[in-house]
Amino acid sequence: MIQVHNVRKRFGDNEVLKDVSFRVDDGDVIAILGPSGSGKTTLLRCLSFLEKADAGKVDFDDKTYDLGSASKKEILQYRRKIGFVFQDYQLFGNKTALGNVTEGLIVARKMKRDEAEKLGREALDKVGMLDRADYYPSKLSGGQQQRVAIARAMVSDPGVIFFDEPTSALDPELTGEVLDVMKKLAENRTTMVVVTHEMEFARRVADRVIFMEGGLIVEEDGAEQFFTAPKTQRAAEFLRGIEAGF
Amino acid sequence: MSERILKELADSFVKLLIPGIRVTIPLTVISFTCGIIIALIVALVQVAKIPVVRHLARFYVWIIRGTPMIVQLFVVYFGLPSIGIRLAAFPSAVIVFSLSVGAYCSETIRAAIESVPKGQLEACYCVGMTFPQAMMRIVIPQAMRAAFPPLSNSLIGLVKDTSLAYSVAVVEILATAQRIAARTYDYFWLYCEAGLIYLIFSTVLTWAQRAVERRMERSR
Ligand SMILES: Nc1ncnc2c1ncn2[C@@H]1O[C@H](COP(=O)(O)OP(=O)(O)OP(=O)(O)O)[C@@H](O)[C@H]1O
Ligand SMILES: [Mg+2]
Repeated sequence: MIQVHNVRKRFGDNEVLKDVSFRVDDGDVIAILGPSGSGKTTLLRCLSFLEKADAGKVDFDDKTYDLGSASKKEILQYRRKIGFVFQDYQLFGNKTALGNVTEGLIVARKMKRDEAEKLGREALDKVGMLDRADYYPSKLSGGQQQRVAIARAMVSDPGVIFFDEPTSALDPELTGEVLDVMKKLAENRTTMVVVTHEMEFARRVADRVIFMEGGLIVEEDGAEQFFTAPKTQRAAEFLRGIEAGF
Repeated sequence: MSERILKELADSFVKLLIPGIRVTIPLTVISFTCGIIIALIVALVQVAKIPVVRHLARFYVWIIRGTPMIVQLFVVYFGLPSIGIRLAAFPSAVIVFSLSVGAYCSETIRAAIESVPKGQLEACYCVGMTFPQAMMRIVIPQAMRAAFPPLSNSLIGLVKDTSLAYSVAVVEILATAQRIAARTYDYFWLYCEAGLIYLIFSTVLTWAQRAVERRMERSR
């Protein structure tokens, strides 16, 4: 279980996260929704120490990590327990698909190459990319790159995988293959926190929905509840706006 | 061109090629290798923003880029002895050329490192790597790919610049041409021939550069 406590973050005068707390149970999929600029990306970045929060703590595996003041060693230990999938994939350009997936195992976790490659191939197989194991990222489509990126994030069997709008950089016809892979992960009880604008996906795959606005969690619900009967006016308006097709 | 001159030029071609192979090439290879190592270090301390050292690095680049190489050669070879440091001609030239390559190429490498998207570093962090691991394994290899064409140009530039070592009594191609011509008085032809040797060297390097670039293109 992961418990996030009171995350705050400001960029200059702009208070982007104002006291955000939530819990992620093992095996749960949490969808974070909210309008542009509400702080979703910043939240995920703070939760992976890509951005230093002004305040906030995370309880993870019986340990508490301070998001504002963890030591380098703690950050390294924490990061080895998470996975992150970026909006723009960020596959390592100088590595093949397999190399991308095994790099963290070999370099960061000092695993033997053949052992890492065995795990790497399994992970690529799970995302349907085994036949492209030797391809460089520049030779893969966006959807294929993102599937490799998902394999890279899950290969170390992390306690949680963060996704920041994993399909929003993709051509519409390529989003399906990525969402299918994520759905499969969810069925296998992979713990995921997914920032997304894909409402269908959130509704069908997520267990819970967190709705953010202006740096605050405005509503937190079971997914079905959120989409059929949101409790707050703001969430209802947000959903209506999306239905109206914008 | 008379038959005598033709025969003489054929003769001197070998005589010029020998110092080219024995002096110009080692001078270039050693200086460039040392220079690239210096350049990498100088670029990295700036990218990693290491306090104090990065300012020293800037200072070094400023000095080297702001002064003529021939002045640097004079300072090292003719100047240092007067404060008690005596270096032979060849090592003096190696020092000056290495420092020069180090300064110019550090800018090239720094720009190349900065051209690698920041997301690559973040992706490294998210698979558990440290900053040095990320640099060594992911960022620098991609930066070097981007830096390869300008670094190749620097190498070709260096081959030609080694002729400046003539001024500090390194017996390289130009100095040899000068010696032969002093005997035969065919200055025009001998200096042209010296130029021809440089032309051959830089042409071969240009071909090599293209071949490597084609190979890199295939492995990405
Ligand atoms: N590095 C930064 N420096 C300054 N301001 C930033 C930075 N990153 C984000 N912000 C600001 O923080 C606010 C929240 O941004 P964030 O990217 O977290 O929103 P978001 O919810 O992910 O939006 P979107 O749905 O458009 O991705 C915005 O006002 C943004 O301008
Ligand atoms: Mg965002």
